Amino acid sequence: MSIPKLEFPPFHLPAEAEALRVEVRAFLKEMLPRVKTEDRFASWNTRSAEFSKAMGKKGWIGITWPKQYGGSERTFLDRYVITEELLGNSAPAGAHWVADRQSGPLLLRFGSEEQRQAILPRITAGECYFSIGMSEPDSGSDLASVRTRAEPVPGGFRVNGTKVWTSGAHHNHYCIALVRTSGQHGDRHKGLSQILVDLKTPGVTIRPIINLAGRHDWNEVTFNDAFIPESCLIGNEGDGWLQVTSELAFERSGPERFMQNFYILRELVRVLGRQPAKRASAILGRLVARLWTLRQMSVAVAGMMQGGKSPAIEAALVKDLGTIYQQDLPEIARTIVESDATTEDDLADFLDIAQYATMMAPSYTIQGGTTQVLRGIVARGLGLR
Amino acid sequence: MDRDTRDMLLETADRFFTQRCGREVVNGVEKGAWPADLWKEIEEMGLPLIAVPEDKGGVGGTLGDMLALLRLAGSHAVPVPLAETALANLLIAAAGGEPKPGPVTLALGNLQLSGGRLSGKVERVPFASVADRFVALVGGTLAVVAKSNARIEATPSHAGEPYGSVTFDNAAAEFSAASPLSAERAFELAAVMRAMQMAGAADKVLATAVEYSKQRVQFGRSISTFQAIQHMLAELASCVAATIASAEAAARDADEGGLLHGGRFSIAAAKSQASEFAQRIAAISHQSMGAMGFTHEHILHHYTRRLWVWRRDFGSETFWGEKIGQAYAKAGPDALWAALSASKYAA
Repeated sequence: MSIPKLEFPPFHLPAEAEALRVEVRAFLKEMLPRVKTEDRFASWNTRSAEFSKAMGKKGWIGITWPKQYGGSERTFLDRYVITEELLGNSAPAGAHWVADRQSGPLLLRFGSEEQRQAILPRITAGECYFSIGMSEPDSGSDLASVRTRAEPVPGGFRVNGTKVWTSGAHHNHYCIALVRTSGQHGDRHKGLSQILVDLKTPGVTIRPIINLAGRHDWNEVTFNDAFIPESCLIGNEGDGWLQVTSELAFERSGPERFMQNFYILRELVRVLGRQPAKRASAILGRLVARLWTLRQMSVAVAGMMQGGKSPAIEAALVKDLGTIYQQDLPEIARTIVESDATTEDDLADFLDIAQYATMMAPSYTIQGGTTQVLRGIVARGLGLR
Repeated sequence: MDRDTRDMLLETADRFFTQRCGREVVNGVEKGAWPADLWKEIEEMGLPLIAVPEDKGGVGGTLGDMLALLRLAGSHAVPVPLAETALANLLIAAAGGEPKPGPVTLALGNLQLSGGRLSGKVERVPFASVADRFVALVGGTLAVVAKSNARIEATPSHAGEPYGSVTFDNAAAEFSAASPLSAERAFELAAVMRAMQMAGAADKVLATAVEYSKQRVQFGRSISTFQAIQHMLAELASCVAATIASAEAAARDADEGGLLHGGRFSIAAAKSQASEFAQRIAAISHQSMGAMGFTHEHILHHYTRRLWVWRRDFGSETFWGEKIGQAYAKAGPDALWAALSASKYAA
């Protein structure tokens, strides 16, 4: 039988990365007591300019990038360790998250020299933040159907259209938008380009979209005859689809796909006390085992990527399993705590925390590629389509 | 053995299992036939001695080599106690003994040993009714007891393999010696051995279901073209991938960390995961193959039934989950991440 073998070759993070982990832990131990507890629960959604600047000072943003742009030319695995430590310790890393993970790498790969010099050093300093401008009211999973149009005009583009679910646009400096620069709406992958948008540009309007938990993370970003200079085209005109798919690959197999609500597991351990009943112990242990497995898979993918491979199917599998684990976690935890909490106060505190996690849970299997989109990718990998 | 030697051995074994462990052989064992020729050939290839040092007549492979072979055996539902014998021989050699030919199995349970005589009962011993001898560990002592000195009640497993309960009544051991591996450690190695067999079986289930979906035509097209089926099989792939990844990570940690202590936490986590996913893997694969896959005629059940049996062998997800849960609870919330990221029991 000839189906592609699913392999996750066990991978050890190298000694330098583990040494970096020790440094990151010491840094977080010093920084985190200053952060409000409720902010820590939102981790990569919680912004702190002070925290991001301190990370920048350490050289831990854009750590893999060339030194000339403020990077440290360290490995992807060093970055991996930083990311998982931020999540494992619930650090407020939301301000610089997207810039570090995907916008910076995208500019590094496809951007002009001028763009790189102007922006990358500000990102690595922890002072420049990015939003993702992909989705639109009529384009979610079907990203190739975007309608936002960048009409070539002398010296640049005149942009019209609407982007949605634009996280942090009300705080961030830039957004990288996927827009149509030529051809017709039905042309699909052809004629799309990516442009760098300064979110203060006249004609760009940012309005809040409040999510079901009452939080203002998302925005609607409207372009109304906004003029974007030619120098802000990223890569070649018409290469937007190719670029955006490579950008999505950065998004999928990282630890944020299974450690976003890690604090729930930690709070569960706290509330169960040092000697839980047998049944509670078993359920806790199974959750720990499940998370450990996801980490082994994700580290294996990181190892393959460091080795120059592009394990797209494996990355999709990590996100599929990881986001479902995150969705299950608050529910399973709530069920044990309701029967096994040591005190009424503990129970009440935990249920408050779990309530927020429960409300956030639907987002995990939607953002960065829905479960169904991921399963389509895996099915293609299995040779089914 | 080096990577090339291992790959060559695995390739040879893969061809051999493909030719010699077909449906009829597996079904035959379920009907009570012992495939003596198959066992003889497996011994001639040296497979039960894979992790026994060369100076004790073995192949001289590592624990890692052995586990890689057993994952392969799991993907062929090899219906003889290759796994049990390979591990038993490793344990015997580690205690200074010299393994003998013939199938051996593991009687790991609550037993007493005094003056070289073994007493007590162990339930659900794999291949109890076909093994020539039993290996037990009591405290720090390993004992080998011949089948003639044991009372065996055959209770075939739900996969039709000749499991049974074994009673030792002041049974004389044919060999006993101080073991560098504790009884608990032997149990852990048996658990990672099963996890790797489960990884092999899971892999085969996925390949079988995918292949079937491409060939089965309904409503005028192969069912693999239906999105409902595609998504089921993608979910199946995720469960299989997790089983493989966790088992391989545990095998690596057990091998690299040394025979006596390596990968203690990883083994617990991997067996918990493999056992937990067994049900989902069986459920989705059967659903995707409809009535065909539910027949005795089809080979799917050779793998799904083994997954159901193996998830209970040497600790289920509840057993290992409890162990992990107790250790992590005892260490408290602030030790959680440090332990998990180091693949260790929290302390």
